[in-house]
Amino acid sequence: MSVEMVSSLLTPGERVHGKVPVEHLDYDYIQNCSDLRYLEKIVEVLRSGEEGVYPHLTEFCEKRIEKLNPKSRALRKERAPATAADFSFDEWSQISEELKSWETEVKRTEAELREVSPLYDVEDLPPVRGSNSLISQKQNSVPSRTETKRKSALPRDYREWDKFDIEKECSKTDGSNKGKDFPVIINQCLPKINRKLDTAGLTEKERAVLASREREKGNEAFKANDYDEAVAYYTRSVSAMPTAAAYNNRAQAEIKLQLWHAALGDCERALELEPGNVKALLRRATVQKQLGNLKVAADDLGNVLREEPENASAKKMIQEVEKKLRECAQESQSKGRKILIEEVEDEELRAKPGLCVSGESAAAPAERGDMGNAQKKTAGRAEGAPQGEADTHGTRRRGKRGSLDQCRTQEAHEKKLPNGAQASGSGTADQTGRHNSSADNTAASGTGSRLDAPCGALPPPLARLKNEGNQLFKNGQFGDALEKYSQAIAGCIDAGIDSPEDLSILYSNRAACYLKDGNSADCIQDCTRALELQPFTLKPLLRRAMAYESLERYHKAYVDYKTVLQIDVGVQAAHDSIHRITKLLIEQDGPDWREKLPDIPLVPLSAQQHRHEEPRSAELAEARAARAAEGAAKRAEARFSALKEEGNNFVKKGQFQKALEKYSECLALKPEECAIYTNRALCYLKLERFAEARQDCDSTLQLEPSNKKAYYRRAMAYKGLENYLACSSDLQEVLRLDPNVQEAEQELQEVTVLLRQTLVASSPDKPRKNITIRETNDSDDEADPSNSKTRQASADDSAERASLPLRPTNAYEFGQVLNAAHSRDDVNACAELLRRVKPETLPLFLSNKLDGETFHFITRALDGHLLQEDPGLVYQHLCHLPAADRFSVVLMLLGQNERQQITHLFDHLSAVESEEFTGNDVRDLAAKYI
Amino acid sequence: MSTPSEKPQIISHIHKSLNYTVFDSKWIPCSAKFVCMGNFARGTGVMQIYEVERGEVHLVKEIEKAKPIKCGTFGATSLQQRHIATGDFDGNLHIWNLEVPDVPVYSVKAHKEIVNCIDGVGGLGIGDGAPEIVTGSRDGTVKVWDPRQKDLPVANMEPVEGEARRDCWTVAFGHAFNDQDRCVCAGYDNGDIKLFDLRNMSLRWEKNIKNGVCCVEFDRKDISMNKLVATSLEGNFHVFDMRTQHPTKGFASVSEKAHKSTVWQVRHLPQNRDVFMTTVHLFFLYGCRCETDGDVDMGVAGTLNLLQNITLSTQPIASLDWSPDKQGLCVCSAFDQAVRVLIVTKLNRV
Repeated sequence: MSVEMVSSLLTPGERVHGKVPVEHLDYDYIQNCSDLRYLEKIVEVLRSGEEGVYPHLTEFCEKRIEKLNPKSRALRKERAPATAADFSFDEWSQISEELKSWETEVKRTEAELREVSPLYDVEDLPPVRGSNSLISQKQNSVPSRTETKRKSALPRDYREWDKFDIEKECSKTDGSNKGKDFPVIINQCLPKINRKLDTAGLTEKERAVLASREREKGNEAFKANDYDEAVAYYTRSVSAMPTAAAYNNRAQAEIKLQLWHAALGDCERALELEPGNVKALLRRATVQKQLGNLKVAADDLGNVLREEPENASAKKMIQEVEKKLRECAQESQSKGRKILIEEVEDEELRAKPGLCVSGESAAAPAERGDMGNAQKKTAGRAEGAPQGEADTHGTRRRGKRGSLDQCRTQEAHEKKLPNGAQASGSGTADQTGRHNSSADNTAASGTGSRLDAPCGALPPPLARLKNEGNQLFKNGQFGDALEKYSQAIAGCIDAGIDSPEDLSILYSNRAACYLKDGNSADCIQDCTRALELQPFTLKPLLRRAMAYESLERYHKAYVDYKTVLQIDVGVQAAHDSIHRITKLLIEQDGPDWREKLPDIPLVPLSAQQHRHEEPRSAELAEARAARAAEGAAKRAEARFSALKEEGNNFVKKGQFQKALEKYSECLALKPEECAIYTNRALCYLKLERFAEARQDCDSTLQLEPSNKKAYYRRAMAYKGLENYLACSSDLQEVLRLDPNVQEAEQELQEVTVLLRQTLVASSPDKPRKNITIRETNDSDDEADPSNSKTRQASADDSAERASLPLRPTNAYEFGQVLNAAHSRDDVNACAELLRRVKPETLPLFLSNKLDGETFHFITRALDGHLLQEDPGLVYQHLCHLPAADRFSVVLMLLGQNERQQITHLFDHLSAVESEEFTGNDVRDLAAKYI
Repeated sequence: MSTPSEKPQIISHIHKSLNYTVFDSKWIPCSAKFVCMGNFARGTGVMQIYEVERGEVHLVKEIEKAKPIKCGTFGATSLQQRHIATGDFDGNLHIWNLEVPDVPVYSVKAHKEIVNCIDGVGGLGIGDGAPEIVTGSRDGTVKVWDPRQKDLPVANMEPVEGEARRDCWTVAFGHAFNDQDRCVCAGYDNGDIKLFDLRNMSLRWEKNIKNGVCCVEFDRKDISMNKLVATSLEGNFHVFDMRTQHPTKGFASVSEKAHKSTVWQVRHLPQNRDVFMTTVHLFFLYGCRCETDGDVDMGVAGTLNLLQNITLSTQPIASLDWSPDKQGLCVCSAFDQAVRVLIVTKLNRV
């Protein structure tokens, strides 16, 4: 019978009363008792001194309790604050030394803070809640939501608060990415954290404080295993002030997220700021080890051990690395021949992208023109300078390897497209075309020969099938494209062509068709085939991932997306999808969802593209050169930010001329930085060089079509140029992007008045409400139907003419026909079109696509062709035309010739005698136009 | 933490007796100075600036004001300006330039009765967005102020006419991780905790913890709500995991009865959000890990871990403030008319 049982027998119920028999206050008893609560009671009795004071016994009892439960409450004693006596001499002196040095340091900091004149930059702050009086200066401000409840600062009572459906409000707060049936609200702030801090107007000291604060937040998020969030905060820290520590920590977080290349970049940046930083070296070694660059990893580890010979983790890792290296060495000895062959293959692979570009880039402009409706945004922009853009990227990032970079920009381009298929066709095409690429350049740009453009190793008939498929895909006829691809594949297999690349592309393209048709199962099959032929190709992987996702097979989709990211870390779609899927998986599988994932294949280095790093298998010399170029790029980056900073400072001091110079230098380094353009535009504005300001704004808008600052500044420039119409249209655009910009509203009112004055009586007195005026030379292609569509029409007009309906049933068809006619300057066709269109529906069909040229074209058609045949119809058309959306605007913008044309038209019309209208009617109508 | 020397130790570095009742003490950011706010026996208010120097504090400046000053914050000022916002017994909100303290930079009659509590956000690089100050008062209202707007609050939260007006004892900002999102948490004498979402102008969550709420604080103001600590009159305190909000059950929480009497203050270490200190006469440091991975239905509040406790005074410690610049340095004031500077060691090993 144990002591404890005895005790419970002896003292039944006594414990409840809290009494402890004296015999239990005994070393043996306490030693054997394992009832924690009873022991706690004993210690209480002992401490109270009711039964006498036994310090040793008390201590003994406490120790016993601690052994049973170290966190027991009974052990909490009221202690006095620690004094010097509680510390060893060293510790104590260290503490006081630290405090003293902090005191002096903080005094210096404070003095520094005070030295800077308190320049309180109101501009940088968001507006006062409720009164949005200031234009937001944030670069990446989230489009503001319409808030109705916000403006009143009147007292709100709880009842009013209660009226809100909290859940609904909360889910609203969390954004639209949550389904309605999702009951739990997780404060997922990640997408909403601004990655960049606006540090304009802050002193060096403040920025340092800010940076360290953001870094601390990152550390905490890291500790809580929110690695994504940690990366976000480290990024903010870096944007406030680049420090080795922040880069270092971000590298660690990225290692956790398995973003090896990002981590590598960060390690290198950290090392640049602080050469010999042990942590950075260690982390770089980790990354290199993961990437399979064992030699480099070993070098880094060697450096670490030289610095810190006792570093345990480095020691451990170097052992692993050396072991692996030995294994590799053995392998290479035994299979030396094979390795050699692989190397050759590798080189070939590397050569291909470069070569494919030369073939591809030529075909690109023509092709892109066709894509007009599929991808409005990129098409127009790319049209202008795909080549130039690629070059600038090339020179900046890497110096010499321009061709590969072109390929990269091209790829980046494709990524943006929802249907990258046609691009893939052209992008990866022409392995054989390398011989006659230059000849193709000219040939491919023509329309007719394009279908026969050679396609890899495919014989001409198959190549033709493939190109036809591409063409059909572009036109949105996925079913037909599917057939073509199938035929091509069948032909390929029948002919026994041994060209895995081409077959893979065909499968991949067919998969795209399946995906578009919603046939995910077949899509997966085709992608898998494509991947069997050409492992680790980006597009089939991406497509398969999408197909898996649509089939709700999230595990596989996740794996594929991850693989995609291993190949190319910059695929935004994959990042987004991974976020989405992660949430779903967590919901599905609970917290340990990662364990249920199938293995993510490790992508061999040769298949990884678009990296900071060059493929390792390259000749050493080349790699070295590339690295040097990379270093140069980084230095350029540093110089860039320094210049920008100086520019900003000059602006603040009002020295716009100097700021201008700085910004210009910036742009020489990095011609695609929106912020610099807008900043320079501001300088130009201040210096009253409006034309240049406008140009800068235009460039910004080309890079970022929804930059409201740029719109606003362009509006100001237009105002200076006394082009009030364009000014007002820009201001309206600003207000459309952000209705809260009060300055824009004020300016708009002012400009409207000016506009009225300039336009005198000629403009019809219509209320100028929601008419969005857009510039014809605007970068925004949506607003510019004539450009892309015209091109498109000219590209394949013959096909178009046959395929398009002659009696349009909707605005799109009408627009197609009209543009086709316009591009050919076929007034007759236009007249034919107008003949077939009911006058009442004309405004509807024109929708908001009416512009000066179209208008002129229509009037020409009416005047030259329709008037003789059917003056009644002309009259009807003219009656209804003013109802079109942008009519009044177009009218205002008309040139001298166009106006004359209208006058002629009405002259002719009034000369015609008809029962459908009288001379007065025509005069009334003419008043609307002239 | 196995050996006592590995545990964080709390050292009472400096002890300074004062000739007035001190209600609040705050470090001036980026300096070795702190401000004490209180009430002279003759009924006037006082602000004193002390500087820590070689184990002693020197009085730098003393400012006397008409009304006793209850609370103050630097949360809504820039690092360069470092203006302090104070609330007094008469319901006034003032912002003072401590260099030129004669006239307030901003002044408003904020409440009908005493301003019990104040908090600021958007300054010092803490919290994105506009600088804002929130005040809570005995008159039952919680008001949000923007120093750029005169006379009127930008948001006002008060009970309906006729309903009992609960004394608001504590307010805190949080969730200010971008320039739109922002939350205010308020604690009342009847144990209510209310969380107001300033972005949507809605009451997002409320909860009663049965005893008067003495202090609430988010672990960080400028991240997505992560953790909220609320202390109560009867010695309990609650830690809420704010990452996951259940539609009916609200937030997961863990509570701890750590003191025998009122827990007056809770403050998170600026350098490590998982460490916080609560006060009575004891000092507690708790390490808390909020597991955010367990997104099942409820969040997981984590476990609390007592790191150290000491007895400092027989009177309650009414205010506590960590130095934002030096890890482990903090100032606290007690109702025994004394202000103390404490050093907590080995916090980086927690």
